[in-house]
Amino acid sequence: MQAIPPPEILLQLSLNGALGGAMYGVAAVGLSLIFGTMRLIFLAQGAMIILAAYFVRALFYGLGIDPFLSLLIVVPVGLGVGWLVYQGLFRRAAAEEDRNISLLIAVGLMFLVQNLMTVVWGGNTAAVVTSYTASGIEILGVRTSFTRSMGFLIALAGTGLVVLFLRKTLVGKAVRAASEDMEAATLMGISPHRVNAIAFAIGIALAGAAGVAVATTFPFNPFAGFIFSLKALVALALGGIGNVAGALAGGIILGLIEAYVQYFISGGWTNAIAYGVFLAVLMFKPEGLFSRPYKKA
Amino acid sequence: MANRLLDVKNLEVAYGDVGALWGVSIHVDPGTIVAIVGANGAGKTTLLKTISGLLKPRRGEVLLAGVPLAGKAPEEIAGMGIAHVPEGRGLFRQMTVLENLELGAFQPKVRKHFKQSLEKAYVLFPRLKERAGQKAGSLSGGEQQMLAIARATMSDPSLLILDEPSLGLSPIVVQQMFALIETLHKQGVTILLVEQNIHQALKVADYGFVLKTGELAMQGTGAELIADPEIQKAYMGVLEVQ
Amino acid sequence: MLKQAVPKQAWMWIAIAVVAALALLPLLPGAIDSYAFSFLFFVFIYAIMAQGWNLVAGFGGQISLGNHAFFGLGAYTTAILWSGNYLWGSLYDAYPRIYYFDPVTMVLGGLVAAVAAIIIGLPLLSKLRGDYFALGTLGFGEIVKVMFINGGDFTGGAFGVVAPAGTFDTLLPHYLVGLGLMVGVALAIRLLMRSRYGLALIAVRDDEMAASANGIDVLRVKVAAFAGSAFIAGIAGSLYTYYIFHVGPDSVFDLDWMLLPLMMTVVGGTGTLLGPILGAFVMYAVFDLARIVVPDYHPVISGLTIILAMLFLPKGLMRSFGGRVRVV
Ligand SMILES: Nc1ncnc2c1ncn2[C@@H]1O[C@H](COP(=O)(O)OP(=O)(O)O)[C@@H](O)[C@H]1O
Ligand SMILES: [Mg+2]
Repeated sequence: MQAIPPPEILLQLSLNGALGGAMYGVAAVGLSLIFGTMRLIFLAQGAMIILAAYFVRALFYGLGIDPFLSLLIVVPVGLGVGWLVYQGLFRRAAAEEDRNISLLIAVGLMFLVQNLMTVVWGGNTAAVVTSYTASGIEILGVRTSFTRSMGFLIALAGTGLVVLFLRKTLVGKAVRAASEDMEAATLMGISPHRVNAIAFAIGIALAGAAGVAVATTFPFNPFAGFIFSLKALVALALGGIGNVAGALAGGIILGLIEAYVQYFISGGWTNAIAYGVFLAVLMFKPEGLFSRPYKKA
Repeated sequence: MANRLLDVKNLEVAYGDVGALWGVSIHVDPGTIVAIVGANGAGKTTLLKTISGLLKPRRGEVLLAGVPLAGKAPEEIAGMGIAHVPEGRGLFRQMTVLENLELGAFQPKVRKHFKQSLEKAYVLFPRLKERAGQKAGSLSGGEQQMLAIARATMSDPSLLILDEPSLGLSPIVVQQMFALIETLHKQGVTILLVEQNIHQALKVADYGFVLKTGELAMQGTGAELIADPEIQKAYMGVLEVQ
Repeated sequence: MLKQAVPKQAWMWIAIAVVAALALLPLLPGAIDSYAFSFLFFVFIYAIMAQGWNLVAGFGGQISLGNHAFFGLGAYTTAILWSGNYLWGSLYDAYPRIYYFDPVTMVLGGLVAAVAAIIIGLPLLSKLRGDYFALGTLGFGEIVKVMFINGGDFTGGAFGVVAPAGTFDTLLPHYLVGLGLMVGVALAIRLLMRSRYGLALIAVRDDEMAASANGIDVLRVKVAAFAGSAFIAGIAGSLYTYYIFHVGPDSVFDLDWMLLPLMMTVVGGTGTLLGPILGAFVMYAVFDLARIVVPDYHPVISGLTIILAMLFLPKGLMRSFGGRVRVV
């Protein structure tokens, strides 16, 4: 245990924790959407993020495309891939009563993607190093990494766009309706396959955005995705399953918890404590930290 | 028989291996209110869900204006003009009243007329206008049921299916509900109504069917059924006492 | 209407014949040293794990994503009891083999896992339903792993515990114990599912409200299934310890110990008695074959196999080809 540190250190910890946590958050937003309509824990989300990171790396080293600029490619490709993944892999299983089937397809996809990446790029750690990778900027008087801050902005923008889509467009409202009650939604004429495919498309597009953030910030390897999926799940539970903006906030909280635990206790316990908080939230506040219960009729 | 709006023939439905409906046939003529009554567990909800495509029949068929609905998904059937207010209302409780109404007009065909439909709905359900921005889950039970019906009317359906709209409502609200059903009827809406509130239902209905443990036990005009001694004995005695 | 998993007569005879053949296999000259022998040993371990998962998820309807933690708990318990000689005192010096397949040690491995399942299951199952339970068990598995990594000398930290080894030079006892456990667990589950408890478990899975209305203590039934599942996983972990000797957090808490049995069960047929065993045979054969034939791509093939199996055989082998497996 450490003594109470000076405020600059606390600020530094909070800032770094929040910036890093936003990446869990954006992964969690994707999980939240997919879980919402399909009731599927899409365990392959982390693997898709790492796949996107490799893609970004290939674009950078192969074609010289700046990683942040590659968002313009990665996000549309993600939309298309998500749509295809749903139509090709999950469409049939979505109609089945037994949801183990979709879960296992997700697991199979995770294995497949992880190992394809190993075959193509090798199992070693990879990174994207640009001219600005090492540069820092000053926020609130604290120096922090430029790429992390960009990652945070990407997470914020991605989540913001998704929230706007869900709140302002009719199709977005249909997605929310389907998440709440699929049967009632079909009675409105909403096609489950359509909303599921939309959820998948957006979910994988967000994985693409997260991939850009990961590629520019951390070294990564083909198997780093699973832990990312787990962290995203924790963020999802903290924010309240089905609460999209909450998922981002949940990720940021998780990042803060990790930063504090690492500093005050030890790096070895960060995961246990993160999952402990996760369990506690599931048990005592399963609707998430941010739900405001309204008066029941 | 000539131009039946809905024709259900020899319907047989099962949950897994357990049968719930055996050879049930009913019909609804355009512009009428048809009631389906029967005890709890008789299979009323099962029948409605099969009509709107949520359940697939083992045998028999459903025709809407002569068009067979076999193999059609519920969202397609909704698009063909059936609006089903399910048991328990099926509101999107986390969404606002207005959003619920917008989703009622989700189908491309009716989306264009959203403004007019909304105005019409607000005339019929003024309370909903006041509460447009509130979450549906925060409404009272009666208001929620009104919203569910209002949402169903947004698609200007050719057949409106109501599954126990009076369930869990106070007697005064039940009266309002039945008054509303008659108003809708006068506006020309065809209604298929399931009720445990048998007396009330048969009073507003042009025609009625009695389901008993998955089979059709009786049918006739509302007045005939109300007057039937067996029905009075089996169902209404109990209900009047409540 | 309650459904009970009872294999059709024909299936039972096939199963008996296969078990008899497997039991007699060691008599075949050269069999003991053949690759098939260690292959089958792993099939048995996975089949036991799959059976355990099937109990809580297939028959009980509660998807556990934490069974690897119970496997690890059983493995660690065995290794720690053995390496610290906590059980047999001076008898150990007289009989150095006393911990080998020692029923007391193995049952304790199962019990530690079962107690952990009760401790975690009571709060999780009383509060959480469905997916939340699945997520909770996933988190639990990770916590247990971190606890063992940080457990100091007792758990050997990131390295783990090494059991004193070297007294056996053949896999025969492993093989026979594995086979015996696989058959024993299957028979126990068959008995269980035909008992009042089994009926209650299925009733809870099919309709919790109705079960509770019929006087079934839903929470107790679920926690018992979860604990039983953990017990079976713990025994499997214990068995694995006698093979691997070095029990470390990354090996025995590996998620594969949860994912693969889950996959095998689903491929074989969830909620059937023989499905988990069949699934373990088939899937392990596919994985192993891929590992030998295309070593660089084998995990790719594994992933592909799962996806294809789920796309084209979503009900599992038993239900797709086994005729009427469930008798109403
Ligand atoms: N989801 C279901 N699974 C199995 N059986 C069901 C299900 N829903 C209803 N049933 C059974 O089907 C029969 C008819 O139920 P239902 O149509 O809901 O009756 P009602 O609406 O007239 O009360 C009952 O015996 C009921 O137990
Ligand atoms: Mg009903």
